Amino acid sequence: MAKAIKTVSTVVSKVEDLGNDTKRFTLVDQDDWELPPFRPGAHIDVHLGQGLVRTYSLCNDPDDDRRYVIAVKREREGRGGSNFLHDRVEVGQPISVSLPRGGIALDQEGTNVFLAGGIGVTPFISAIRHLERRGRSNFVLHWTSRGRPVLTDMIASAIEAGRVRLYDTTAQTKPVIAAIVGEFTGSGLAACCGPAPMLKAFEDAVSAWPEERKHIEMFTPPKVSARSDVPPYELYLSASQKLATVTPDVGLLGTLDALGVEVPVSCGGGICGACRTRWTEGPPIHRDRVLSIAERQNELIVCVGDCAGQRLVLDL
Amino acid sequence: MDAIAIDEPEVTISWQGVVRFLHKTPRAFLPMRSFPSLELVAGRGIEGDRYFVGHETGFYSHKPEEGRQVTLFEMETLEALQRDHKIELLPEEHRRNVTIEGVPLNHLVGRRFRLGEAIVEATRLSTPCRHIEEILGKSVFDPLINRSGLNCKIIAGGTLRVGDAVRPI
Repeated sequence: MAKAIKTVSTVVSKVEDLGNDTKRFTLVDQDDWELPPFRPGAHIDVHLGQGLVRTYSLCNDPDDDRRYVIAVKREREGRGGSNFLHDRVEVGQPISVSLPRGGIALDQEGTNVFLAGGIGVTPFISAIRHLERRGRSNFVLHWTSRGRPVLTDMIASAIEAGRVRLYDTTAQTKPVIAAIVGEFTGSGLAACCGPAPMLKAFEDAVSAWPEERKHIEMFTPPKVSARSDVPPYELYLSASQKLATVTPDVGLLGTLDALGVEVPVSCGGGICGACRTRWTEGPPIHRDRVLSIAERQNELIVCVGDCAGQRLVLDL
Repeated sequence: MDAIAIDEPEVTISWQGVVRFLHKTPRAFLPMRSFPSLELVAGRGIEGDRYFVGHETGFYSHKPEEGRQVTLFEMETLEALQRDHKIELLPEEHRRNVTIEGVPLNHLVGRRFRLGEAIVEATRLSTPCRHIEEILGKSVFDPLINRSGLNCKIIAGGTLRVGDAVRPI
């Protein structure tokens, strides 16, 4: 049986060395088909092979549906993702990516205040291009950079219009975030993406703001189809003798996937019955609309299932 | 009591519909693109679609099924989602190939019917999947239960155009 396709297939169409240890990669469909849409400020997982998966913000205009553009700064002391992209990825190479996730809920009327540190500007580039395409100028970007910033070509019109404030921290002091956002306490949205100290300063500055008016850019994990609301429990697969803990954020299906167990999931919502599986210890929590009461005594629809006890044993 | 003879008019139960939209996509997850016509190939599928036999690149291609050669969806379901659930689902979003109007799809499982020049045989009702919610970001899974379209295999191929008739054989 062929393997299930779980990612979007793309091809690297352009690699640009922007200097300052940063490269920009353009990913397209092999036939120039439209790619799945994304919101301003969204991000994708980039699958680099052998389990290496890294998440990057998309920085092109969300209305440009034929490409995904990411900018990657080489982290020499990092975990290997940026080095792999810088050293091994070339034009013409196939790359699998996830569906885009996340995004910034931009304020339609008030000012959108973006605070970026270095390469953390990427989600705000797609947001600015989204706003500018709609003829909107209700934003300001405060962007700190160590030395010459890269990617300025993508927001040249905003810079020219005076809506971008650049801070070169090699020549000037860092901006005071509390002072910047303090001007907008009454309305608008404030969003921040950058190194940890910057995020901390931002969080402190907007701690009293309502949640819908602030956005801290953090990569959100993929949505799992059967999000669990039960405490963690042990999962044992008796046929393959595999053991794992099912946590609420990953869920039963996500755990089976992580264990490399191929379960024939189809609808993912507990109505088709494709993933019915025998269980021997539980008791399981049944959320399907397929099994009879009698069938539930020894079978479970795992795509929406869980465990009411501490240990679930499945015949897998 | 004596039986009363009633003159019942002769009733012929039938239906006829029309093709409103045609869509295909070459690979899993990619948006469906609208076309004025599609080429249906007997026993294989739609030329250029992700489930065309010999070119399997669809989300469900690892589970081969004859009924994925061409899939149908009712315009009336799109209207019902808007009317009853306030969800706008567009013809390019349900991810079936053919959007038809005036055809009782749920009645046709196991039957053959004409789809433009082609003849198809319905193999089963489609089931909704969470995959579509992931792609669209719209909560359509529950509202689509039991009205998620029809899976068909292609018995006789041909060109299918927007505006073509759909009728019983």
